[in-house]
Amino acid sequence: MIQLLNDIRQLSQQKSAFKIAILYLLLLLVFILVLPILPMAYGPNELDLQYTFAGPFTSGTDGLHWLGTDALGRDVLSNTLYGARSALLISVQVMLFATGLGLLLGMSAGYLGNNGLKISRAALPVTLLALFVFFYYGVYVPYSLAKTALPLKYTWFSLLLLLFLLLFLYRLLLPLLKKWHVAAVTSSLPLDYIVLRLTEAFTSIPRLLLILALASFMQPSVLLLSVIFAATFWPSSARLARAEMLKIKQLPYFEAAQSLGVTPLHLLTKHAMPNMLGPIIVTFTFGVADLLALESTLSFLGIGVPGTFVSWGRTIAGIRTNTSAWWLVVFPGAALATTVWALQTVSFHLLNYFEERKQL
Amino acid sequence: MLQYTLKRFLLSLPALWLLVTLVFLLSRLLTGVPGEEQILQDSGGFYSKSSTGSREQAYLSYLERTGQNLPLFYFSVQASPEPDTLHLVYPAHHRTFLKQLYWQYGNPEAVNAYYQSIKELELAPSAAQYEGLQLYIDRLYQATEPASIKQTLAALPVRIPAPLVSELKAKAAGLTQKQQAYAYLLPSLRWHGTQNQYHTWFVNVLQGDLGTSFRDNRPVSSILYEAVANTWWLILISILVAFIVSFELGMLLVMPQSIKLRKLLLPALFIIDSIPLFLLALLLLILLATPSFLQLFPVFGLGYHRMSGGSWVEQLTVVSQYMALPAICLILGNIPYLTNLIYRSFSEESKKEYARTARAKGFSERQVIRKQLLRNTLLPTITVVSDALPALVAGAVVVETIFAIPGVGRLLVDAVLARDYPIIVAVVLVVAAFRVVLYLLADVCYSIADPRIKHAAS
Repeated sequence: MIQLLNDIRQLSQQKSAFKIAILYLLLLLVFILVLPILPMAYGPNELDLQYTFAGPFTSGTDGLHWLGTDALGRDVLSNTLYGARSALLISVQVMLFATGLGLLLGMSAGYLGNNGLKISRAALPVTLLALFVFFYYGVYVPYSLAKTALPLKYTWFSLLLLLFLLLFLYRLLLPLLKKWHVAAVTSSLPLDYIVLRLTEAFTSIPRLLLILALASFMQPSVLLLSVIFAATFWPSSARLARAEMLKIKQLPYFEAAQSLGVTPLHLLTKHAMPNMLGPIIVTFTFGVADLLALESTLSFLGIGVPGTFVSWGRTIAGIRTNTSAWWLVVFPGAALATTVWALQTVSFHLLNYFEERKQL
Repeated sequence: MLQYTLKRFLLSLPALWLLVTLVFLLSRLLTGVPGEEQILQDSGGFYSKSSTGSREQAYLSYLERTGQNLPLFYFSVQASPEPDTLHLVYPAHHRTFLKQLYWQYGNPEAVNAYYQSIKELELAPSAAQYEGLQLYIDRLYQATEPASIKQTLAALPVRIPAPLVSELKAKAAGLTQKQQAYAYLLPSLRWHGTQNQYHTWFVNVLQGDLGTSFRDNRPVSSILYEAVANTWWLILISILVAFIVSFELGMLLVMPQSIKLRKLLLPALFIIDSIPLFLLALLLLILLATPSFLQLFPVFGLGYHRMSGGSWVEQLTVVSQYMALPAICLILGNIPYLTNLIYRSFSEESKKEYARTARAKGFSERQVIRKQLLRNTLLPTITVVSDALPALVAGAVVVETIFAIPGVGRLLVDAVLARDYPIIVAVVLVVAAFRVVLYLLADVCYSIADPRIKHAAS
């Protein structure tokens, strides 16, 4: 981590574009964090119905509209600022989650391969059963109960039973089954194959189409949209982690650690992970930039995002009803493009830097 | 080679199947019965006086026509008190009412009997005479706790025929007497056989039938065909122009004398690359197609209103005016990435030995680039093009929506907004299949461009 900070400092001394991008991003970050306590004349969802489609520097009911208003009299300045907040919050959170998931799947696929994960004949049906139990008592029943008005006690019963059944399956049934020697025979699970096919399935159509299709199945909500984003963004980091893992697995230091008897968990987190940190950070920042563009595209199309969600795309969409209101596109659009540019510049220079260092 | 291609084709099928199945199942699982509001509108509007019975009939016949009365998959897992025919109940609030009763009392027979007796009361010929009875019945459809059911029953007006009321009370008492409180904790696995939505859909898809649209009952394949015809030209023209421009730019940039151009153009391309496509399209729209700035292009649609008759040349000139701006957007959106890639691959090739040899032989730099390097740089770009074409479909979604072009992207957005699931699933299927075909084509192109690959594969 300290090494990385040093790298960034060194890079920013060499490349001025990188320096500007990093400074912009830091400034934006600080701004986003203090935004709720800043005194603003208008909230992002506050309507000023007397001043709709007002140009920049029009004075409204509560004060000056610095950057004008949209079709419902919402202040463009506060929408631009709060739009940055919501866009970055959602993108960073989603990317953190998606990268975590991708790392988990990709690293285990790379490390274990098709033959690394041995499971006994008894464990397979027990695990399938446990999965079924989990989905029935942990997902289906609580979900169905949430749609009825039944008291909470019904859900608690279900969750309690889930815990009990899982304990029964793994503490009692599995050890008992393993005593029977036919069931104790182990065979390998083709984990690598499964993960590869999964990433292929998720990347076999453009992301925007998949997200549009998935978003249409549910009520617009920010949480569900984040889940969909995470579900479509994990494959890139999974592929990267798998490829890096395959490389690292053959490095002498890793083999030495393995032969010393370091546990797999320790191997992966302490020995493999730090070595792939650079590329992972690059995909992370690229992913955040992608997500920013994607989120505002969806808000612009009005799909999957509730109407109250403050977003650059929502403000920009106002241009479709009034093509002469240029301020609706220019200000949020400039903010969007600058942020995407800054993120891409940072990732681009980092990528070059890491590649150069690898060649040395 | 053929064997290798075939193998890759077969290997790409599981992912395709997985994706499409996932999308299909999710589209049906998460949404309940789509298009319910629409049936009501077809049968005379939500607030019309048409009787509940006729609306229920319309609902059931709609389900039957679209095949949604069947179970979703080969098997289903549900809480044991909940029957698998719940989605046939109409209207929707009865479904939630029944669901709550099933889960609370755990005895489907008792619940059904109670529900039937409420319906009998509602439909009784003498019931229509009492004004305000509907109010009580609505309250009955909301009461689920034993206490509130009892309270509502006690408040029933006296003028209702006694046998009906006593039956209702008996059935309500039956609810609590026969209650199996925690039956919902018991899952029940039901096997449906091949009579299910997924099976019929899948068999139909294999036969080339993509179903009918929920919105206008037209076959999805013909709707899709019209849309694909428009999008296809847009995408093809864009990729061709973008490719040619990027190649020319790449060759220009790699010339030794164009250092200044490189310093100017590469950052500019980087900046264009960071503008999301929808923003780029809007900027072009504002700059080039609005009366307040420059009005060079017509804005919306494909100009069908101006195309009554006329030879195909006239039609082409009209359409090309309308296609120009959307195509420019797509081209501009793709040039930065392509140019960067081609430039990099050119500059790598120009450092190789054979390029140096060519220079030593006295070829001019221009000739070295055009004659010697071009063929080798074409090779990696094959993959890029086969990747870029499906990505252009995503671009087409944005551009077609903004410029109102009736293509696949706009079809998808409209279908998403109208929750027209057969179309959404079909678009996903077609685009995914398109990509598989492109990958195969790319393989073939590779073996033509570089014969060495043929030997490596076999």
